[in-house]
Amino acid sequence: MSIVAGVDIGNSTTEVCIGDYGQDRHVRFLSSASVKTTGTKGTLSNIHGILSALKEAMGRIGRDVSEIDLVRLNEAAPVIGDTAMETLTETIITDSSMIGHNPSTPAGAGQAAGELLSFDNLSRGQAGTPYIVFVDVQHGYDEVARRINEVAKSLQIVGIILQADEAVLVENRLDHKIPIVDEVKRIDKIPDGRMAAIEVALPGQFIRMLSNPYGIATLLHLNAEETKTVTPIARSLIGNRSAVVIKTPNGDVRENVLPAGDIFLQATHPTRIPLDEGADKIMQAVSDAGEIYDVTGQENTNVGNMLNRIRRGMSEVSGEADGEIHITDILAVDTLAPVLISGALAGETCLEKAVGIAAMVRTQQLPMRQIAAKLSETLSTRATVAGVEAVMASLGALTTPGTKLPLAILDMGGGSTDAAIIHENGTVDLTHQAGAGELVSMLIQTELGLENRYMAEQIKRYPLAKVESLFHMRMENGEMHFVQESLDPRFYGRVVLLTEAGLVRVEKDIPMERIREIRREAKRKVFLTNAKRALRTVAPDHNLKNISNVVLVGGSAADFEIPEMLMEEFTQYGIVCGRGNIRGTEGPRNAVATGLVLSYGGEMQ
Amino acid sequence: MISRRPSIFIYTHEADADFLREIRAGIEEENVASEVFEKDGQDVDELAYDAAADSMMGSGIGISGEDVAMQMRGRRSGENVSRLHMPTYAQCRIIGSNSARVIKKQSLRDL
Repeated sequence: MSIVAGVDIGNSTTEVCIGDYGQDRHVRFLSSASVKTTGTKGTLSNIHGILSALKEAMGRIGRDVSEIDLVRLNEAAPVIGDTAMETLTETIITDSSMIGHNPSTPAGAGQAAGELLSFDNLSRGQAGTPYIVFVDVQHGYDEVARRINEVAKSLQIVGIILQADEAVLVENRLDHKIPIVDEVKRIDKIPDGRMAAIEVALPGQFIRMLSNPYGIATLLHLNAEETKTVTPIARSLIGNRSAVVIKTPNGDVRENVLPAGDIFLQATHPTRIPLDEGADKIMQAVSDAGEIYDVTGQENTNVGNMLNRIRRGMSEVSGEADGEIHITDILAVDTLAPVLISGALAGETCLEKAVGIAAMVRTQQLPMRQIAAKLSETLSTRATVAGVEAVMASLGALTTPGTKLPLAILDMGGGSTDAAIIHENGTVDLTHQAGAGELVSMLIQTELGLENRYMAEQIKRYPLAKVESLFHMRMENGEMHFVQESLDPRFYGRVVLLTEAGLVRVEKDIPMERIREIRREAKRKVFLTNAKRALRTVAPDHNLKNISNVVLVGGSAADFEIPEMLMEEFTQYGIVCGRGNIRGTEGPRNAVATGLVLSYGGEMQ
Repeated sequence: MISRRPSIFIYTHEADADFLREIRAGIEEENVASEVFEKDGQDVDELAYDAAADSMMGSGIGISGEDVAMQMRGRRSGENVSRLHMPTYAQCRIIGSNSARVIKKQSLRDL
């Protein structure tokens, strides 16, 4: 008898499968394990991860690593993927001229226009002129209310802008109610003496005048030309509970459209397509172009910089010169990014049009043989590189109960989406497409305006809940969940992620419904598009109807909602599609490692 | 005495007047009512626990001299949501604001 270990080094995890070949040349599967890949896939630093995975798997059956007779490594697909994002529009305010935010507690309601007057200069005010007073944090609510009540006898005060969070405190002490906006951080940037308009919405409502260009025109007496220039302001104020718009002399606000540039597809049918045509047009061009040899962008434009950045990143990973890197596939996705408006006074953002691109590069063969040699030396046993990854994955996927030939597999990982179809005569067709889990994370991060990628990955991976009291939470599917012991008050009122390790709170204050919608939309945009694209490439006559079975394997197949999305989508083509269950026990993981052990039996015969 | 008015209860024992004022300002800024009761007990944990238990809204604050604790009904005595000795005025505002946000079912601010 001999113990064979299959080892699959992936971008994020290293998986092993241990099988025992008896006298009858039949394999008995003994154990498996999965650990985080150490270092970049295909480099010698992978050894540490492989060793610890082997140790874990052998430990589980009470055996030692030295008892392994043969280690079989996968011939990793020579592709690496990367992602980049670029905004296509940008709103710039060259002079500070608007405040539009949602302080948790503005006060008063209504709108007004008046001349800006600093609280320190109240005595300089003149009777008959309407004023909007702005107050820095040095002055407390008692003092502000008392002074305003005093001067209101002779001056016309129509609104107040506060730096401190004290709008309600001031309002409760005023004799006459006026709109008050608070928590304006950059109060020092407000120009004394300019005309401004202020608006606070009624509870439960949004502002109406200042989010309407004609409303601003009415309050600030603008002409048609000026009204046109404030349109971006009005647009970025939509959905706010309070706002201030300050009139500046020369229409200092403009919407700047950056040159997006053209994408050049060097292919069987060379094509040039402008980036701002949108993702659908770009993907149509990619699919019409035939075989793609390389993708480049117009120099000194958004897309040019973007593709160069990807090329540079890839050359660092693969150790090949920039010029040697050829992008053989791209996936473009439309998205919206909240971008900080330059010149705004309270950290306002504006949703800008953006496009995310995943690119895939073919590299030279990864040095798997070096890894095998090193592994053989360390373990003093035989180690070989055996079989192409996709073929091994297909073999492994076939161990899923209820499958038969011909069988298509869809391997959705972090960097690329791979599809393979294994025919009845044993031949295999395969393809690698750009765009998978990492692009989804990037879209989630961009659209939610998260600071780091880690949080976006967590959001991608786990369902949400809203903690509504110390003893219950509402799940994203509407279900109520009650707990016996009081929850930590840090989670109170928060949107949380339900992870294996307990609750993780989402720091940013975004409604649960919105996070869910963005998460699902990102997955749909990337995985539905790519799954269809990949399967169409390998399908007989490139027709999806010629595929009967699809087994989903790889990291993203373990996702809690992606397989269901694909299942629904493929039903209309009459395809049986589902999450793989390798050897009936492993779920969608371990397909390649299992295939490596199985193929040894085939080779012996 | 138990009032049925929906408000935050603040149970005090020789409370620092400045702390009390700032805490109440924090509550007022959130548009929530509060009521203050002077108590005999000195233990700030007990004051906060009892205040939360007696408040119809389940949110209470205890102040004993220069110790401040905030509680929510359902948590055990001593397991305060937050407890501070000699808080800054800004922290007092946040404690007040948080006790009001409990009632509004909004997330709590970090101290």
